[in-house]
Amino acid sequence: MAFLTVIQEHFWGFFRATGLTLQLTAVSLALAVVIGLLFAFLKLSNNRVANVVADAYIGLTRGLPLIVQLMFLYFGISSIVVLSSFWAGSLALAFHAGGYVAEIFRGAIQNIDRGQTEAARSLGMSPRKAMRLIVLPQAFRRAIPSLGNQFIIGLKDSTLVAYLGVPELFSNAMTAAAANYKPFETYLVAGMYYLVLVVIFTWMVNKLEVRLTPHRQEATR
Amino acid sequence: MSVIDIKGLHKHFGDLHVLKGIDLTVESGEVVVIIGPSGSGKSTLLRCLNFLEYPDEGSVKVNGEIIDPATSDLDKVRRHMGMVFQHFQLFPHKNVLHNVTIAPVNVLGLSQKKANAVARNLLAKVGLPDKEKAWPSQLSGGQKQRVAIARALAMDPDIMLFDEVTSALDPELVNEVLQVMQEMAAGGMTMVAVTHEMGFAREVADRVIMMADGLIIEEGTPKQVFEAPREERTRTFLSQIL
Ligand SMILES: Nc1ncnc2c1ncn2[C@@H]1O[C@H](COP(=O)(O)OP(=O)(O)OP(=O)(O)O)[C@@H](O)[C@H]1O
Ligand SMILES: [Mg+2]
Repeated sequence: MAFLTVIQEHFWGFFRATGLTLQLTAVSLALAVVIGLLFAFLKLSNNRVANVVADAYIGLTRGLPLIVQLMFLYFGISSIVVLSSFWAGSLALAFHAGGYVAEIFRGAIQNIDRGQTEAARSLGMSPRKAMRLIVLPQAFRRAIPSLGNQFIIGLKDSTLVAYLGVPELFSNAMTAAAANYKPFETYLVAGMYYLVLVVIFTWMVNKLEVRLTPHRQEATR
Repeated sequence: MSVIDIKGLHKHFGDLHVLKGIDLTVESGEVVVIIGPSGSGKSTLLRCLNFLEYPDEGSVKVNGEIIDPATSDLDKVRRHMGMVFQHFQLFPHKNVLHNVTIAPVNVLGLSQKKANAVARNLLAKVGLPDKEKAWPSQLSGGQKQRVAIARALAMDPDIMLFDEVTSALDPELVNEVLQVMQEMAAGGMTMVAVTHEMGFAREVADRVIMMADGLIIEEGTPKQVFEAPREERTRTFLSQIL
């Protein structure tokens, strides 16, 4: 069977490429969380300039096709600094996901009852402490399902950096398919790798959510 | 010396003139109960005392010092003033012990160990010595409110502010909270409480203040205000809630 032959031939090659896919995803999403948090704060601040900057950034990342952003940033970044395609790709993916993550964090922070901040302030906490100790931990937990979603999207989006020459999983599949004339089977195998990753990932996100939920902390009220 | 001394306090929310010139002095150790119809500005007044709302006009003195929101260190002012809210506002991501210790540790810089000792002592005082490991979601309303009181007391405040702290509770849970408040009062705590619990006001309050339409329209001892109200609006209000 052609399918089994493809698996046999490419199992290890794809397996190693999957490692690169995971690295891309992990690095870009870790960066996206930092970027997202930063822009969420800009968007929530009372400073008009900060609001406009955040809106512009979020609008761009959500408004432009990802492949356009990738190409633009890849060639843009590479023309200024010499970066490996891996890092250029990671940064571009992070830039893109950051806009979505910013909106996730903004929503989660805004959804925490104002009374929580007031209680914290009434205890003498500064606005920063109230944010760091009271609001953010709750917002973060509430954001986990949406973040998990975004992470799965990020994993799938990472396929596009194949076009930047990063030899990740999808890129390997393209090369293999071109060489073995069995595109259907080859992409089927690659697809299975992605599916397995998504399943593992979903499981981990669920675990994390439960872990961060001290005794199903429902409403405070 | 008076803990709170406010003169000519005004507060607007947009076009809405909520407080229209409040004068109020609260002496150390005094228990003041504020009553009045919904929307009369009771909560706003209380929130102006610890600057959760900024007064538009008038002067607020805390412990003899004039506080100006523009220049004073309000975080520092609030350290000396505890507040308990109608809806508890316990921190759901912290267990009971950490709800009580989070401010002493992070604001006052107490060691966790020392804060734990303070907290355990207070939790025993509010009748919850065995709940320190519980999560807020596992407590009844009355228990939550008692934790909230312990949390405020952990900052060792000079004054405690209560905003209708029993009105979100099931009737059978009201007394356990009022009892804790009564013990605090007996211990000499300075308190300002918005409440419609007349039994509590009668027994514990040194002074009852009746607010209507952004003004203090009448004040006196509980006996004076409840048994011989001078103002028609006080009489109407009392007949509605009794
Ligand atoms: N943050 C705010 N923004 C706008 N209006 C407000 C705000 N807070 C209070 N108000 C208004 O100010 C008025 C007084 O409100 P306040 O909460 O002080 O009344 P209250 O006497 O505590 O009433 P209740 O018994 O219902 O708690 C009300 O009309 C209320 O709608
Ligand atoms: Mg009120």
